[in-house]
Amino acid sequence: MITIQNVSKWYGSFQVLTDCTTSISKGEVVVVCGPSGSGKSTLIKCVNGLEPIQQGNIMVNGTAIHDPKTDLPKLRAHVGMVFQHFELFPHMSIIRNLTIGQVKVLNRGEDEARDRGLKLLDRVGLKAHANKFPGEMSGGQQQRVAIARALSMDPICMLFDEPTSALDPEMINEVLDVMVELAHEGMTMMVVTHEMGFARKVANRVVFMDQGKIVEDAAKEEFFGQPRSERAQQFLSKILHH
Amino acid sequence: MAYNFDFSVVPHSLPFVWQGFKFSLGLTLTAMTGGIALGTLLALARLSGGRLFGSLATIYVDTLRSIPLVMVILWFFLLAPLFFTSITPERSAYITFTLFEAAFYCEIIRAGIQSISKGQINAAYAIGMSYWQAMANVILPQAFRNMLPILFTQTIVLFQDTSLVYAIGASDLLHTAEATGKTFNRPVEMYLFSALIYFAICFTLSTVVKRLQQHIAIIR
Amino acid sequence: MNYHWNWGVFFQQVSSSDETFLQWMLIGLGWTLAVSLCAWIIALVLGSIVGTLRTAPNRVLATIATAWVELFRNIPILVQLILWFFVVPELLPDDWSRWVKQDMPAKEFITATIALGLFTSSRVAEQVRAGIQSMSRGQRSAGLAMGFTTTQTYRYVILPMAFRIIIPPLTSEFMNTFKNSAVSFAIGVWDLTFVSRQMVEESGGQVIETLTAATVLYFLCAFAANRLMRVIERRSRVPGLIVAH
Repeated sequence: MITIQNVSKWYGSFQVLTDCTTSISKGEVVVVCGPSGSGKSTLIKCVNGLEPIQQGNIMVNGTAIHDPKTDLPKLRAHVGMVFQHFELFPHMSIIRNLTIGQVKVLNRGEDEARDRGLKLLDRVGLKAHANKFPGEMSGGQQQRVAIARALSMDPICMLFDEPTSALDPEMINEVLDVMVELAHEGMTMMVVTHEMGFARKVANRVVFMDQGKIVEDAAKEEFFGQPRSERAQQFLSKILHH
Repeated sequence: MAYNFDFSVVPHSLPFVWQGFKFSLGLTLTAMTGGIALGTLLALARLSGGRLFGSLATIYVDTLRSIPLVMVILWFFLLAPLFFTSITPERSAYITFTLFEAAFYCEIIRAGIQSISKGQINAAYAIGMSYWQAMANVILPQAFRNMLPILFTQTIVLFQDTSLVYAIGASDLLHTAEATGKTFNRPVEMYLFSALIYFAICFTLSTVVKRLQQHIAIIR
Repeated sequence: MNYHWNWGVFFQQVSSSDETFLQWMLIGLGWTLAVSLCAWIIALVLGSIVGTLRTAPNRVLATIATAWVELFRNIPILVQLILWFFVVPELLPDDWSRWVKQDMPAKEFITATIALGLFTSSRVAEQVRAGIQSMSRGQRSAGLAMGFTTTQTYRYVILPMAFRIIIPPLTSEFMNTFKNSAVSFAIGVWDLTFVSRQMVEESGGQVIETLTAATVLYFLCAFAANRLMRVIERRSRVPGLIVAH
């Protein structure tokens, strides 16, 4: 579903990604982790073309992302993304946040969009808040809405860029629960996160990045049980024992 | 178009326009220095919390910022004969502009002073400085450094505003350009020439200000 | 001080007609309002377009927008006004030139409105640009990630919030428009400043009364503008958000 081949990226003269290669098949859940500055957020933003790349290529469902001829908006309509800072549209009500993409991009009718939106809100447990505004809700609630918003576009895969990093500890679980349920339903997911508990629960594979390179790319059991690289070992020991 | 452009008038006009330009420049610099000095006093009066001076300063600043500069120029020039025996448009302009710009500089300086964290003045007091010592040695030097770009921008605006002495017939850049244009019967060319001078100067200065802002931003 | 006070001068008649000075003042107020409001509408429309274009990914559009802003920002309003009134008609094709110079109705009013409108539009453009750029990049990313085109992202995500953010500086600019309209006296528009000058002469030197009245009227215009913007701000407020970014 998603293939990343020999991707390298520079910001000016500074190289942020070096020869990254990995892939995600349909139904797989891949967790991307690593220390700050390892390039994991940058990599995931390249997957839906929010960031350009200078070398290599990325294909999503057979479409080349960085080909100038590609209709990016059309592709992005089918790839859901959830951001670290939620990024709900503050001037729109919750339900409007969920229907605007459906109506303006997918050309669905207002009523149909509204029905689907309300069903999704119900699924994340926030149906009662449909007419509120993002500014009136907590971080955890906003992020659940953000996930519902991404799902409202019926995506073929979902990208998560550190979805819980900006949340207070007591709200992290409500968001992770939604993500776990999504994984169990068979959604293809690429998740950049520090939450190793989540990885252990639902990830199929774990990709470990350090300083712009993919250092380790292994099945979950292998990564947690017998990490091959020293960097990964160090990272795991620090993160699992705090 | 029926008009035959003939820009040969421009070189001929230079001696006259130069006089006008010197006046505009002098007016700008005088109003800038006087305005900043008076503006600083006004800002300190507003910030000090003293009820009499604070209120007077506030009324002064708010009034002058709410009415057109042209009106203030006219006010002063038309009222001046009551207080002074005779006053040239030029001298009237010097006083008017200084008093007017002080109101604007005051607001910039006030914002600049308020942007310095309270911790700084507390530290100054803690060493035993008085309010005025703290202001002079700690707060104002920092505030001015931060405000430099905005003060410059206001000065560029001031330079443009000097063209308004047109209302009282003072011989600034615009007026001399216009007069020369009428003398040589080439008003169109001279108007364009004066516009070009204003543009060249203001554009250059605002580019300099942008560089200055980047320079300060890096240091911070 | 040798001054002959006469606050009743407003009710005196102007020698050359049977209007009172008070009526003159009101005519002046009327023209000031007309020029200012029309110019402000032009400035808002053009300024919003130009300000948005300055942030556009398309380099050509962005450069044109920047040139627009720099041109109208670096020449004094009075000089721009004079250029529109004396120079632009000469640059037009012959027929148009003749029409503008002789037959165009309300020549002074239209010229003043265009000049003031374009001058102010460059300042509005800068406010709009600042408002757009102050928003987090995440909002733009979120819009694009949903499948919006760049235009849709601007229309549904960026501009609605950017305009709310810039209501305070836009209010100042609106108030400034009334002040800047005073230069239109230079080409003969009967605005408050023009009328004030006439009145001082015609009334035999009643400077203080005249200029007080004019000052008060300018004050009122600025005050009304401020109030109007407050109403707009309250109506457009987003619940739960004290516009802070």
